[in-house]
Amino acid sequence: MSTETGRESRRSGLLVDAMRWMENLSDTQYAYLLLVPVFVLLGVVALYPLIRTFELSLFATSLDLTGRAFVGIDNYVQLFTGDKNRFLPGGTTFVPSSLSLTALLNSALVVTIIFAVVSVAFETVIGLGQALILDQDFTGRKWVRAAIIIPWAVPIVIQGMIFFLMFNSNVGFATPPLADLGLLAPTNTLNDTASATFIIIVADIWKTSAFMALLILAGLQSIDRGLYDVAKVAGASKWQQFKYITFPLILPTIGVAVLFRSVQAMRVYGIIDTVSSCAVIPSLSCMVVATFNTREGTAAAIAFVTAAIIGVAVMALIVWQGEDAI
Amino acid sequence: MATATDNESEGPLARWTQRAIQDPERVYRALFYVAMAFFLVTTLFPFYWLLVLAVTPSGRLLAGSFLPEVTLFGVSATFPLPVPKGFNPQAFITVFEQVPFHLYMLNSFALAVTTTVIVIVVASLAGYVFGRLRFPGRAFLMLGILAVSYFPPAAFVIPLFQAFAGNAPITLPFTDIPLFTPPRLLNTPGSMVLPFSALFMPLSIFILTTFYGQIPDGLEDAARVEGTTRLGALFRVIMPLSAPGVATAAVLTFIAVYNEYFFSSIMATSTEAARWSPIVGGILSYQTQYTTQYNLMAAASIVGVLPVVILVIVAQERIVSGLTSGALKE
Repeated sequence: MSTETGRESRRSGLLVDAMRWMENLSDTQYAYLLLVPVFVLLGVVALYPLIRTFELSLFATSLDLTGRAFVGIDNYVQLFTGDKNRFLPGGTTFVPSSLSLTALLNSALVVTIIFAVVSVAFETVIGLGQALILDQDFTGRKWVRAAIIIPWAVPIVIQGMIFFLMFNSNVGFATPPLADLGLLAPTNTLNDTASATFIIIVADIWKTSAFMALLILAGLQSIDRGLYDVAKVAGASKWQQFKYITFPLILPTIGVAVLFRSVQAMRVYGIIDTVSSCAVIPSLSCMVVATFNTREGTAAAIAFVTAAIIGVAVMALIVWQGEDAI
Repeated sequence: MATATDNESEGPLARWTQRAIQDPERVYRALFYVAMAFFLVTTLFPFYWLLVLAVTPSGRLLAGSFLPEVTLFGVSATFPLPVPKGFNPQAFITVFEQVPFHLYMLNSFALAVTTTVIVIVVASLAGYVFGRLRFPGRAFLMLGILAVSYFPPAAFVIPLFQAFAGNAPITLPFTDIPLFTPPRLLNTPGSMVLPFSALFMPLSIFILTTFYGQIPDGLEDAARVEGTTRLGALFRVIMPLSAPGVATAAVLTFIAVYNEYFFSSIMATSTEAARWSPIVGGILSYQTQYTTQYNLMAAASIVGVLPVVILVIVAQERIVSGLTSGALKE
């Protein structure tokens, strides 16, 4: 008996001590102890960089790169007045120089919002359609569901390659018919801002509708089936059932999903980089990547504006969802 | 007699309409199948296009259109679906010879597996805390993690890139006080695994919180009475009982890393497989170095997409339950 205890304590005295110490912690102390790894990781990779980005955005890099000068909110002011446009790639601007379509699509701020709004709107409608299909019982449902989910799992670089190959001027078969309809520029399509924006929106809809569908499907499946029985007895048609039962009940789910997806869509970068280029479609993330090696302060200011816009959207989401957000 | 002839002369469409008016159910069924076919075609068509390009011999890629002219009953029209111009599956072999594409995929796998292991261990601790313990500050902390997960990678990338370059010491924010000089991590797994872990951690935390919270307290108490330590109860009782939840979080993290573009393209500054560039680098080197070998780009894309297609088919139940239980809360 005594030898056994002796061996045990010799083997892992420190570990046993640590375990005993852990056993005696209160629930609160234990909770915070277990959260240390998460805090460290998020602190190092998210919180510190975020604070540091804000700090960098308040400084101007001197041209000889020897030091930096505090400029306050000058970087932000110059972004919004257009003084920083000369550092942005191609003929792109931060805020639009005029209200023509070309000028709007050349503006990082506007094109990012247009991309998010248009693609999320289509994804919601298509996702709702897909969810209504997947909500039915039919043979082969598993296979149809897998087929619909697959685009969501396709790596962004391959998604980009698919649409690059579809609309490329040498082998892209899809450009001539769509150019005949006046939707795309017939030549140099992927370097034309309007056409390229159209193409990346289509690419995003193709990939992400399924994600929307799964979120909406969860809402559909939480609806009490008894409601439909009552409606049938009352003689409601399928359309009336959808209009008066299904749609109002899934509306909150759709609202949250739309806001959530919009926040994600504002990050758009990879699909632009593979299909076209950041000089053609200047999304906010694109502008950060294009400038951060040479114009640190400008890049940091753009990055922080992006974070602020998204922060506002997230606050709206949290306020809207209230306690359910957690 | 006369009415019967009328019916026949109206043809199948009219008869179908007639029956549909009597029984609206038929219209809904027809609509259902039309919509399903539409969605299947639109989601799967891009893969068909990759296949068409990949098997077209390289010499014929640029000659003529992929939409052939067909003559049917004396009327010539453009066939609405692209078809291969010849058949040569050689591209699927060349794709590994031209660029070591298998090495890029191996890099992606290694990065995805490492990130998944880190995420599962750390998120398990947090999921246990949020799912099973009541303590002051719980709601606030969950909100904080939620908020961090929403921020765009672009808001993190500048300081992270500078830190991973390892040229200058990390300073205390808003001062010039140096803390320490980090090692150079660019072009190593570290520079990608760290941001990936932080980026995809919140989703796993929320999934595991849900699953761990559902295990009855009695089971944990019983294990504790038997003499298991607190941590032992988590890893030997709670985690195995929540195996589906752990699998869900793992599958979603793996797919997310395999799909990631932003940090993968920035932190691997060269597109060499030997310098830890993942499939992003592999595919892009076809686009930038072999600019007209479209069949190879298509073949590489098909090879690169196969692992996730298989994963989706095998693990779709997990993906669906994970996205529906955790994604909205992320």
